[in-house]
Amino acid sequence: MEGAEPPTLPPQMFTTSAQLLDLTDKKLLVALRDGRKLIGVLRSWDQRLYVNDSYCDIPRGVFIVRGENVLLLGEIDLDREDDIPFRQASVEEVFAGQRQADAEKKHRDKVHRKKLRALGFEDEGEVLV
Amino acid sequence: MSDADDSNPIQEPLDLVRLSLDEHVFVKLRGDRELRGRLHAYDSHCNLVLGEVEETIYVVNDDEDDDSVKTIKNNSEMLFVRGDSVVLISPQSQS
Amino acid sequence: MLFFSFFKTLVDHEVTIELKNDLLIRGTLKSVDQFLNIKLDEIHVVDEARYPHLSAVKSVFIRGSVVRYVHLPANAVDTALLEDATRREASNAAAARTR
Repeated sequence: MEGAEPPTLPPQMFTTSAQLLDLTDKKLLVALRDGRKLIGVLRSWDQRLYVNDSYCDIPRGVFIVRGENVLLLGEIDLDREDDIPFRQASVEEVFAGQRQADAEKKHRDKVHRKKLRALGFEDEGEVLV
Repeated sequence: MSDADDSNPIQEPLDLVRLSLDEHVFVKLRGDRELRGRLHAYDSHCNLVLGEVEETIYVVNDDEDDDSVKTIKNNSEMLFVRGDSVVLISPQSQS
Repeated sequence: MLFFSFFKTLVDHEVTIELKNDLLIRGTLKSVDQFLNIKLDEIHVVDEARYPHLSAVKSVFIRGSVVRYVHLPANAVDTALLEDATRREASNAAAARTR
């Protein structure tokens, strides 16, 4: 690389990063493929779990998230975030509720997949939460 | 467009889809969905734009012993369909 | 590049994006890139009660690979133009292969 021109990125690199540029340093919600929600400033993250109407926050330090695991990034409206009609609960309570909800969903999906396969349908691949 | 296309209109699978432009097609998707609509655009990933779309969703019961299947129909005037969901595209005479 | 260009013509129109997890988000299309990642402003989640985590979110960046459908306003789409562009792209691709 020495002495050469600075490497230029193909122009399409910029279109994506430009879209993310104005989200940098904003408070975001990141929905991941496995259903986890990360909340934080684009640079560092907390993790928030939701079950029905309760939630808990788990401080997670800094996460680097691989792109393919991202469903969406949402910019949080700081004026509206306190109006969310949800109840903060203990980590244990939310985890227990989530385990139960996951198990129920897994069972339901299994029944659905089996029946739909019999009808000639293809799985939709990974089941996104 | 070119003469080569006219002399041998079907050289590869997507040429069949090209001949369906502005015609009614049936599209089967991953998951429990099917679409019927007029094809306005496609690309090599099977991304599509369909007009006058009717979507059929097949819904099965949660109960393991109940094998009944319901269908839900949705309509959309113009729909972009992401190619990675597409299983097959079939030309359809409008019935 | 056909669909990238197509979506660029729809910037500032209201669209509804349906994700592969059945989440429906309505909003104003603000930008798109060549992966068909999409940015929506002034979003409104169609079934908000089921997706509480988005109730304080005003704009989203959606990864293209998780999109199932984008519901479009029919009056914003010139179908004849779109079909011509599709034919052009198909014959360009064919020419590129035989070259």
